Amino acid sequence: MNNTTEKRHMGLKALNRASNTAIYILLVLISVIWLIPFIFIVLQSFRVESTYQVGYVIPHQWGLKNYINLWNSDFKRWYLNTFIIALAAAVLTTIIQLCMSYTLSRFRFKMRGPLMRFMLILGMFPGMLTMIILYRVLADLGLTQANAVPGLILVSVASSGMGYYVSKGFFDTIPKSLDEAARVDGATRLQVLYKIILPLAKPIVIYTILTAFMGPWGDYVFARYVAMGTSAGYNVAVGMYSWLSADQIGSWYTTFCAGGVIVAVPVTILFLCLQKYYVEGVTGGAVKG
Amino acid sequence: MMKQYSDLEYLRLSKWQRFCHKLIAFFCAIPHAIASFFINIGKAVKTFFLKVGAEFKDIGLTFVQGDWKTKASFLVMGFGNLANGQILRGLLFLLFEVVFIVYMVVAGGYWMSMLPSLGKQGPTTEYDPVYDTYKTFYHDNSFKILLYGVLTIFFIVAFIYTWRINVKQCKIIQDIKKRGGKLKSDKDDLRSMVDEQFYKTLLALPLTGILIFTVMPIVFMILVAFTNYDGAHNGYANNLFTWVGLDNFNTMLSWKGGAGGTQSYAATFGEILAWTLMWAFLATFTNYFLGMFVAMMINKKGIHLKKMWRTILVMTIAIPQFISLLYVSKMFARNGLINLALLDWGWIKEPLPFWEDATWARVSVVLINIWIGIPHLMLIATGILMNIPADLYESARIDGANAWQQYIKITLPYMLFITGPYLLTSFTGNMNNFNVIYLLTGGAPTNVAASGAAGSVGHTDLLITWLFKITTGAESQYYLASVVGILVFVVVALISLVVYNVLPSIKNEEDFQ
Amino acid sequence: MASVKLTDVKKVYDNNVVAVHDFNLEIKDKEFVVFVGPSGCGKSTTLRMIAGLEEISGGTVEIDGEVVNDLQPKDRGIAMVFQNYALYPHMTVYDNIAFSLRLKKVPEDQIYERVTNAAEILGITEYLMRKPRALSGGQRQRVAIGRAMVRDSKVFLMDEPLSNLDAKLRNQMRAEIILLRQKLDTTFIYVTHDQTEAMTLADRIVIMKDGYIMQVGTPDEVFDMPDNLFVAEFIGAPKMNIIKTKLLQENGKYYVTPFGAKIEVDGDKGKALADRKVKGGDVLLGVRPEHIELVKAAAPHAIPCKLVVDEMMGSELHLHVDTEDGNRLIVRIPTLDLDKEQRKALVSGAQLYITFEGKAMHLFDPESEKNLLA
Repeated sequence: MNNTTEKRHMGLKALNRASNTAIYILLVLISVIWLIPFIFIVLQSFRVESTYQVGYVIPHQWGLKNYINLWNSDFKRWYLNTFIIALAAAVLTTIIQLCMSYTLSRFRFKMRGPLMRFMLILGMFPGMLTMIILYRVLADLGLTQANAVPGLILVSVASSGMGYYVSKGFFDTIPKSLDEAARVDGATRLQVLYKIILPLAKPIVIYTILTAFMGPWGDYVFARYVAMGTSAGYNVAVGMYSWLSADQIGSWYTTFCAGGVIVAVPVTILFLCLQKYYVEGVTGGAVKG
Repeated sequence: MMKQYSDLEYLRLSKWQRFCHKLIAFFCAIPHAIASFFINIGKAVKTFFLKVGAEFKDIGLTFVQGDWKTKASFLVMGFGNLANGQILRGLLFLLFEVVFIVYMVVAGGYWMSMLPSLGKQGPTTEYDPVYDTYKTFYHDNSFKILLYGVLTIFFIVAFIYTWRINVKQCKIIQDIKKRGGKLKSDKDDLRSMVDEQFYKTLLALPLTGILIFTVMPIVFMILVAFTNYDGAHNGYANNLFTWVGLDNFNTMLSWKGGAGGTQSYAATFGEILAWTLMWAFLATFTNYFLGMFVAMMINKKGIHLKKMWRTILVMTIAIPQFISLLYVSKMFARNGLINLALLDWGWIKEPLPFWEDATWARVSVVLINIWIGIPHLMLIATGILMNIPADLYESARIDGANAWQQYIKITLPYMLFITGPYLLTSFTGNMNNFNVIYLLTGGAPTNVAASGAAGSVGHTDLLITWLFKITTGAESQYYLASVVGILVFVVVALISLVVYNVLPSIKNEEDFQ
Repeated sequence: MASVKLTDVKKVYDNNVVAVHDFNLEIKDKEFVVFVGPSGCGKSTTLRMIAGLEEISGGTVEIDGEVVNDLQPKDRGIAMVFQNYALYPHMTVYDNIAFSLRLKKVPEDQIYERVTNAAEILGITEYLMRKPRALSGGQRQRVAIGRAMVRDSKVFLMDEPLSNLDAKLRNQMRAEIILLRQKLDTTFIYVTHDQTEAMTLADRIVIMKDGYIMQVGTPDEVFDMPDNLFVAEFIGAPKMNIIKTKLLQENGKYYVTPFGAKIEVDGDKGKALADRKVKGGDVLLGVRPEHIELVKAAAPHAIPCKLVVDEMMGSELHLHVDTEDGNRLIVRIPTLDLDKEQRKALVSGAQLYITFEGKAMHLFDPESEKNLLA
């Protein structure tokens, strides 16, 4: 190897090392920016010397006062409400979305194209528009305010068929010849679904359950509408939002942080356990749509 | 007219010329597109009427050529099925007819008759001699009339459709019998529910849900845009509401200024729309490119701990948005963590107006949205980047492309090609991104010039948050909210239409499949 | 074991594209029929209509005398092998093969017997506990065949079963399919785009193009007497040389005049022409590469040409030659026929003389592309 090529070689290596170093620095920076607010929430939830916003992060006095405060507030009820909604949504939404996406992926019937186009157009209407009437309908059924939980479940599950895109994208990647082979082998369509397709669709089933379960934890608008100021019908988002209104924040800010921790920790742990499936769902189904 | 190039001539053009050519071609094509749109509508109408005509003809023929069982089925639905041993189908038809008739007699007729007026008599206060007090008596209920009126129309359409199927089935039965074939038994019908007709079974529940909880409300709310339904006319407890024609659209789209020199509705709407579009554009593309950038950094060969970096970012997806958004919102508030800390350290004298100044607030929401959105985009980009065939890069490197050229010539076109539809949905999704705006700013700071409009408009308000504020505001002008909702739909539909029509050309140019 | 009868079978897709035009065919019991044609000719669609995987737009399909148009695939008594094998990835080989039997609620000990039996025939016994992804292409193919075998079906359908295998394996599996056919002794319908497969496997070949049947016949028939130009060019490799030329009728004898030569159409073919009272005029002359021979310059009917490319195939030599008016012909010569000197002389640019006999000729009408002799 002569001198110049050696130099070029060295140059490439050095360049690579420099760019890698830069990337590491950036990645550390990004990690810090992304994590810091959450670290702050945790730290502030243990602050006992004051309940309002302050200009420092590390508590001067540590304690569990905020968590005790939480226990004594309506937070328990809100948490339970949200949990029930999330659980019901996870089961029912998953069933409905899988029915929908499997059908649209596998069956070719006359109304399939028009149906999909119709739902595409339907999706262009802001969902919030329907809130007013749904509220009145739920009110007529007695499913608002203190009874908001079943009402919220009903509404969120009923329209969930519209969100079939991701799982349909996944089903589309399972070769159709598997269905055909099974049908020739003597399986009915129902048997094809639960003997062949569902075992293969495990990632997307878990993805759907996971997203359906996580959704209600952040659901604010409609939940607030349906609960209409009755604390017993709040979910965590609505309840905790009320703590941050201008006249409440002074006395509830640190409790809000504690509540945030209690809400976020279980969901995050669940999410991290099933992260693999989530990633698969997002990268597999979401883009193909 | 524009110059036409042959394929080879086109290939010789520079990039800039090609771009101009395409741009001109796009605009030149618009008149033609519009014309063909109307021609297609005309054709569709024609085929529709032809089809309807054919249906009537078929119905007539079925009646004329039908035996007495078929003829009886015209009146008594399912008779043909029952008489031919298809008990299950026949009973279902019959049951549906009975339910329909009973419903129409008991309730449907009333709702339909009231639909044109939306109620004749509102609540009245009358003297009650027994208790010697004035008592309020409630009469018609506009809300229910509209709601059940719409439902009844749905029901009637369903009935006509079912009746038509009933007639068709009689014809099929006759045909099969004539050929000497075997009719499907009830058992066959039940079995086919899990086999060839399985899709109907699967779709029944989801579609019913969508029909009742999405389609029906949307139809209802579209109709509300043509009424004066608001807090003061709630249709029952205080005043009835009624049809007002296009008045609400006139209000929303009029340029006449409000009282006290405030700007007109049209100006306010335009302002909010402009910000909504700008926001959607910024939110979509900042996330897109930065997310791709982060993904590429993590994916780069020689970077260790890939899984850890990814997990750190992905973890933030799990935390419910309302917590992170509300917390960050308060962190940047006037008396929040950042301002207090900066004041303590003496870096600033006055709190920074993160949420008080229009420009500050807009920049802040875009930046915080990046914080929210990047992890998700990073995941998507990672998935696609790993799917780009390695030999594309290898051949580019042999051709002498450097890292930047590889990105511009391979990575980016590939990403755009794959994610084209995703970008569109993400754009429209951001237009309606209620959570980020509402939880961060609640629309603040207030737009003083627009104070004449309903719903206390703010500088960071999107159309969707404005809609929400109108309905929850003091006067609850539901009719205006409906108008806004319909306009949002129009905007989203227009954008989608244009993008979908442009997308194929992008696809042809950069076809990687 | 059953006959299959297709009457005016038609396939029209939603966008009004017609994939198969009135398809009529009677397949006898225990016959091995191959559908062959270029991609998009409707051969797979026809097979899938027989299987019940594709709706039949018109006409009837009968299996064993029963119209099966409205029957589900599982009720038609068929077994099918798919191009990409379609093995259930989450099941072991054993479960894959046993799947149809379990659905039929066959007792487990019988299932065991039949599965192991099939596995033995196919030589996959040692893989029974594996999942499909741990198998090689050839092994997967065997599993797919095994899955179809255990069903005891009346008709055995195969949709391009060998096209995903490499050339060597394909030859081997082809031989095994012939063996399998002898063992199963049932009706086979086999789809392929490869004419070699069709020729070696079939009792009868159905050659299709653009949704139409071009010819139905035994391998000998379609090779010796192609109905039309398409079949002539499709069957046989390298493909038949087609020469535009004139047919002359002199004194009751027929001659063709390719490249200035004047060769008599003699023997049966000449007689056939005379019987049909064919008049002279423009014709397309087809000669298979193996029917052209190299001759000396002085030989009768010698046509001069230049060698452009020579391909050594081992046992034979493919010569691409240009005639003086620029037509490209392919000549196929067994290597054994050449001595060392002759072989050495075959370099690109060499001057050669070729000719062919009248009995080797195929004559087609240039308008209708139909065989004048058929």
